Amino acid sequence: MTTPRRSRRPRRLLLALVGCLLAATVGACAPPAPQVSPAAAAQEDKQTQTQSTEPPYDIRPLLNPDHKYLGVAVNGSPRATAPLTAFTEKAGKRPNLREYYAKWGDPFQSEVNRAVWDHGQLPFLVWEPFSRTAAQIAAGQDDTYIREFADAVRDYNRPLALSFGHEMNGGWYPWGSRKTKAADFARAWRHIHDLFTDEGAADVIWVWSPNVINPVPDVRLEPYYPGDAYVDWIGVVGYYTLSGPTSFRTLFGPTLTEIRRFSRKPFIVAETGVEAGERKPGEIADLFAGVRARDDVLGLIWFNLKKEADWRIDSGPLSLAAFRKAAADDSFGFDVRKP
Amino acid sequence: MEQHTTTTPPEPPVDVPEPDPDPGYEFHPPAREESWFGKAPDVTMQLPVAHPKARSRVAETMQLRVLRATSSGYTLRPVPDSGWSAAASSRRMWVSRLVLLGLLLVQTALSLRLQNTAFEDEALYLFAGHAELGHLLHGTKLYGGFDSYFSGAPVLYPVLAAAVDSVFGLAGARALSLACMLGCTSLLYAMTRRLFNERAGLCAAGVFAIAQSTAFMGNFATYDALALFLLALAAWIVVRTAGSHPLLTLLAAPVAALAVAVKYASALYVPTLVLLGVLTAYQRRGLPRALARGVLLAVATAALLVAGLYASGYLSAIQSTTTARAVGTTPASQILRDCARWGGLAVAVACLGTVSYVRSGRMSEMPGWRGALPGARWRAALGLVLVGTALLAPAYQLHLHTEVSLHKHIGYGLFFAAPLAGVGVTRLMGPHFKYPQWAIFLGVLLLSNGMSQAYANYHAWPDSSSLVSALRPYIDAHGRYLADTYEVPVYELGRDTSYRQWNSTYTIDYTTRSGHHLTGAAGFRAAVAERHFTLIVLDRGNPTGQSTTVRDGLVHSTGYRLIGTVPYATAWGTSRFELWAPQGGGS
Repeated sequence: MTTPRRSRRPRRLLLALVGCLLAATVGACAPPAPQVSPAAAAQEDKQTQTQSTEPPYDIRPLLNPDHKYLGVAVNGSPRATAPLTAFTEKAGKRPNLREYYAKWGDPFQSEVNRAVWDHGQLPFLVWEPFSRTAAQIAAGQDDTYIREFADAVRDYNRPLALSFGHEMNGGWYPWGSRKTKAADFARAWRHIHDLFTDEGAADVIWVWSPNVINPVPDVRLEPYYPGDAYVDWIGVVGYYTLSGPTSFRTLFGPTLTEIRRFSRKPFIVAETGVEAGERKPGEIADLFAGVRARDDVLGLIWFNLKKEADWRIDSGPLSLAAFRKAAADDSFGFDVRKP
Repeated sequence: MEQHTTTTPPEPPVDVPEPDPDPGYEFHPPAREESWFGKAPDVTMQLPVAHPKARSRVAETMQLRVLRATSSGYTLRPVPDSGWSAAASSRRMWVSRLVLLGLLLVQTALSLRLQNTAFEDEALYLFAGHAELGHLLHGTKLYGGFDSYFSGAPVLYPVLAAAVDSVFGLAGARALSLACMLGCTSLLYAMTRRLFNERAGLCAAGVFAIAQSTAFMGNFATYDALALFLLALAAWIVVRTAGSHPLLTLLAAPVAALAVAVKYASALYVPTLVLLGVLTAYQRRGLPRALARGVLLAVATAALLVAGLYASGYLSAIQSTTTARAVGTTPASQILRDCARWGGLAVAVACLGTVSYVRSGRMSEMPGWRGALPGARWRAALGLVLVGTALLAPAYQLHLHTEVSLHKHIGYGLFFAAPLAGVGVTRLMGPHFKYPQWAIFLGVLLLSNGMSQAYANYHAWPDSSSLVSALRPYIDAHGRYLADTYEVPVYELGRDTSYRQWNSTYTIDYTTRSGHHLTGAAGFRAAVAERHFTLIVLDRGNPTGQSTTVRDGLVHSTGYRLIGTVPYATAWGTSRFELWAPQGGGS
């Protein structure tokens, strides 16, 4: 009778040990604890897949090149190429910067911008926050959109000049001085910049773009300025109109002087044109001469559209000839891909 | 009833051997083999035979059958009780060695399938080794202060690895580790064979060879493989010389001391070596002599270590990296869970082997085989020492609340627990491989776990190829660089730059332009504000030291701009490196 008792106990012990072994087995088979949430991992994986394996593009040589930018804004930018080809033929020189406008909420079009860059032009995106106030943006209401936009810019991995809320000192846009506090505008700018940096979008040339102060002399610019740490270029917008200043010095001079009181960043004439008229050929020459004369002005962007007035270079044969002559100067234009 | 076949001294120290709990037959010891075939048939008839008990089924299968003389008077020779022998033989030895060779090939394949660029520790030890080599061969001044924070003597493994790296590159340095780990497996087999038998030795080698820590350390150019190899060599010497003159056991002392010098944390396992020496000697020599041997080994090892410490002055490094290591914040539950994942199954099998071994010391299915069966207390002590050693590193890391290198340190303990894991596997298989499915089940489980875990751990750091390519245009012999995990670019770009040009995000001694000497966060902030560095590389996925402080300064700096990012993916997710450079510059 003792033998069965002796044999049962070890069996139980063995069974218990095997049970422990199985438990350890289950533990060993358990997957490792995820270090990131599945959703975040999926998002990151997607980003990694889309992110280029090319080395990062260092835009610093484009920030202060030896030659001047010759930019243009044409109809159909940035997708259409025919208007640009036509402009190039008329101007006698291919522009190396192409400005276009995008509404707040639009996605960043990597392929289109890549095509622009591959065509030899630095894309210059003017981001217009029609659908959100600066305060809302600064408060983080559109962070998801901004981050997605920044991710796309980062993965594009090529230079992009970006101007948020241009002509903010004027009263004609929703983000302008009539409807937006300067502090909110600056906060929104810094917030967007920080999110871009956080997402690793390094190839952005940040263009703070006020209108010339002549029509709005009571609006001080400095409160709108986010700070030198957040800005690469100061893109001044100013047009030679039939009723306004007639020289580079009088049109842009006061604005540049005021800005120099709070920033040492280089200028670019971010949007300009000469209204059709008798003075146009002479003012075109003055514009180019003014840009060429100042080392701290990186170039100009010609608004080649007929909107409210005829700003096109071929509004008259003399104007076209003047533009061709001025643009032919070696100071203007260079290969942005080999600055 | 019991008969000892070994030449046991007059005062056998072993416990009283246990009778087989249920032998199922009454056994009469056979005469020597020569008598089975060298005597006349009538004499053969008087040979001892088994008398089976009628009630036992086992007895029926194990009885010796002796044919009675036929009526014609012809008598068959008696048949030996088994067609094979439990004793050592050259055939058994070569078969075992062939199986071991197969295991070593599997281990090699498991290690070499892991592919990644240099981990920061590998890079650190290699470039430090090159610096030490330059110092030793050409008198080049050392600046790294490696002896103040390395967790092993910088003049040992780093120099050896750097010498190999000079000729064969990183692959060569990692091949050195592979050779060490293959040596560990071979020594484990040899040790376990001596402690138990060949089958347990092969099973132990198998369990060890396919573990994640073994595969990982076999392709990882750090101290670990060499230190573990030296510990394994010391353990084998202790077991091998248990029956020899005590002075031979002392051969283990310099090897153990060298293991500690190679990696200071190896000291954790020196007591195990001493206890193993005492236990193995106790079985052969008795308690007083065994204790004397243990004391001798401990004193010799300690004397060598003290002498080395005195000569080298590495005490502060040992304190900062080993004995007084910084306490982490990893929860105990996570450490325990990872311990269970990385070594739990093997240790569980070792525990099973220990319990089974304590219950029955019999290591062969040969009928009547007793060998020099040690007593139950000795068996329990051996199991406790070996399996308990597997818990030392996890216990210490639990104490420190850190998981740093835990997946490697698990491997140290596993080496000592593996012999009993081998016993456990043999016991699960049963005599005559009756239940091979257990070994297959465990083998598949351990192998799949080992492979997947080793792969995950080997890809816990990013492939640095893209980063190095991105950095190369900015690196020259005059720049000043700051980086998280700066060791990797220093090693990878060693021809273009010197480690003296690089600063980690942990410490800085910065003198401002106005002459103020600053350290820590203030030093980093001032260096960023004054654009001291020509390039800063931050790892968003693994910020180290004052990385966050540096980045905060950069984001709001007019002196630096983000010039690019390099994405990477590891086994744990994706992130990116950030490259910051002074404004206005350019490649």
